[in-house]
Amino acid sequence: MPLIEARGLTKKFRQAVKEPGLVGSLKHFFSRQYRDKIAVDHIDFSVEAGESVAYLGPNGAGKSTTIKMLTGILVPTSGSLVVDGLVPHEKRQQNARKIGVVFGQRTQLWWDIPVIESFNLARDMYEIPAARYRDNLAQFTEILGLAEFMNLPAAKISLGQRMRADLCMALLHDPRILYLDEPTIGLDIAVKDSIRGFIRSRIEERGTTVILTTHDLGDIEDICKRIVIIDNGKIIHDGDLAKLKDTYARDRVIHFQLARPPESMGPIGAGLPACEITTDGLRLSVRFDRFKLAAGEIAAAVMPHVEVVDFRIDEPEVEDLIRKVYLGQLSLSPDAPQTGVLAGA
Amino acid sequence: MSGLRKYSAIARTSLEITFLYRTSFALNMIGSIFYVFAMFYLWQTIFLGSPGALGGFTWPEMKAYLLVAFLLNALMTWFAEWNMSVDLREGRVATDLARPMDFQASRFASAVGPVPFEFCSAVAVGAVVALMFGGIALPADGAHAAVFLVSAAMATLIKFGLVYCVSMTAFWTTGTDGITVGRAAVQNLFSGALIPLIFFPDWLRAVAAVLPFQGMVSTPALIYLGKMDTPTTALMLGVQALWAVGLILLGRLAWRGAQRAVTINGG
Ligand SMILES: Nc1ncnc2c1ncn2[C@@H]1O[C@H](COP(=O)(O)OP(=O)(O)O)[C@@H](O)[C@H]1O
Ligand SMILES: [Mg+2]
Repeated sequence: MPLIEARGLTKKFRQAVKEPGLVGSLKHFFSRQYRDKIAVDHIDFSVEAGESVAYLGPNGAGKSTTIKMLTGILVPTSGSLVVDGLVPHEKRQQNARKIGVVFGQRTQLWWDIPVIESFNLARDMYEIPAARYRDNLAQFTEILGLAEFMNLPAAKISLGQRMRADLCMALLHDPRILYLDEPTIGLDIAVKDSIRGFIRSRIEERGTTVILTTHDLGDIEDICKRIVIIDNGKIIHDGDLAKLKDTYARDRVIHFQLARPPESMGPIGAGLPACEITTDGLRLSVRFDRFKLAAGEIAAAVMPHVEVVDFRIDEPEVEDLIRKVYLGQLSLSPDAPQTGVLAGA
Repeated sequence: MSGLRKYSAIARTSLEITFLYRTSFALNMIGSIFYVFAMFYLWQTIFLGSPGALGGFTWPEMKAYLLVAFLLNALMTWFAEWNMSVDLREGRVATDLARPMDFQASRFASAVGPVPFEFCSAVAVGAVVALMFGGIALPADGAHAAVFLVSAAMATLIKFGLVYCVSMTAFWTTGTDGITVGRAAVQNLFSGALIPLIFFPDWLRAVAAVLPFQGMVSTPALIYLGKMDTPTTALMLGVQALWAVGLILLGRLAWRGAQRAVTINGG
């Protein structure tokens, strides 16, 4: 049985509609107008224990709403949701004991008291046995480098420090499931790396199940094996990350650094009819479909005509892929043919 | 109860935070001291104009009444200023709900944490004021004092229940400042904190009798002064207990409804 199972999960919000300006406010004061917003629209998915899932989508797609239903904070409008044998909003406290949550946009730390005291509160709230608490705290402090600000109140530490402390706090009780809602938002590369490394170690060592929403594609490649894409409340893709790359990211670009500007492009183009060739000063780039050609064949076609100093191959960017999915340039339904969708798009 | 430890941890933290904000606490206290002085001078003038007892109160009794009202108002002041709409807007409710804690019990723990400190500060200030105004009436005996403390504890529970219920409106309306101010005004009048209920016209006293507010000041103050016979005292303690339990349960009910209606922000 999967650890998390959602069937037809739906959340509808009632949003007050107000026309702009004073007149709009007045009208709104006397007769309120509402409209329903379906933030999450009949989604189905299941997650096995130990999986790490990236939950992606543009702003307002319904990611946070889904996370809030998973954590039991929000009550679904309809559909069913079972997490580790419990319906989260019915057994909110029991569910809370088994999960860790990090909302990147806000902290769970107490603002006024030293970070270490927030951790001690977590120990009491989650009833963490003393020995386990001590071990985890020592280990996390070491990995996340928390020692230098442990005695400062959360109000006095930087965003990067806060996120590391938040992550520590979310994991002190060894939750089975970790929900991360944009955990690396606004952080610098070093902190991101430290956070990603830590999450990965939890997945590998403890088999923690991770559900991660993010706009940072580095997070996905570092942490997740599977990606689920939601747009407008509906899931538009659910599958393996590597497979997605294989299937849709057929393009490779090989860049040659030349000793001299090429005299003429004619012979190179003639040798590589299916490719898109561009030059920029001393650089020559060839975009090719890796299922049709090998990098070696490209090199063989280029080398006789120019003097190559160096070369480099660009892997497809997950970022590009996902952007294309959002923009509707790439259909991810399994049966839609993908003929050259990416080429030159 | 094994769950007690987590709530006592919350209470302890809440007390600690009160200490951190001691300046603000002190300013708040100074504000209410001015208020007590104003009340003392006002009532002194009234009593000077009509020597003897007024509405059954002697001047030393009236002074005691005012100080008891001051003491009870000082308890849970921090919590009374709780504005849940801000917590909702800033997403703090969401983080609270992600924890294995009962929402109301956590609020109670954080409201109760500072109470011992609030109690001691108010008693100290009250003692100084009492000395400056030539002493106040004390409870007749230890038994009266003990029953008073029970009644004061229930007054605090009623206050908690009421503030919590009022806060729940934040789930359905946007700004709750107006509601909070309104609650404070109505509470000041009907609790007897401004004027003992005995001075009310009959119809207003009848209204006060069916509202929860009298249990917040009037009942404990009258018990302190020994103004009620034993059966009346028992009855009034019962009424207090009913309101305390009733409001706390109503708060739980409202919370349940709120969870469905909720629009928890952030993220
Ligand atoms: N509390 C709320 N009340 C009304 N509408 C909401 C509320 N929370 C979210 N929404 C709406 O639901 C949609 C999904 O929001 P959200 O789940 O936060 O998106 P994401 O996290 O993917 O950016 C948005 O259109 C948003 O405006
Ligand atoms: Mg979001």
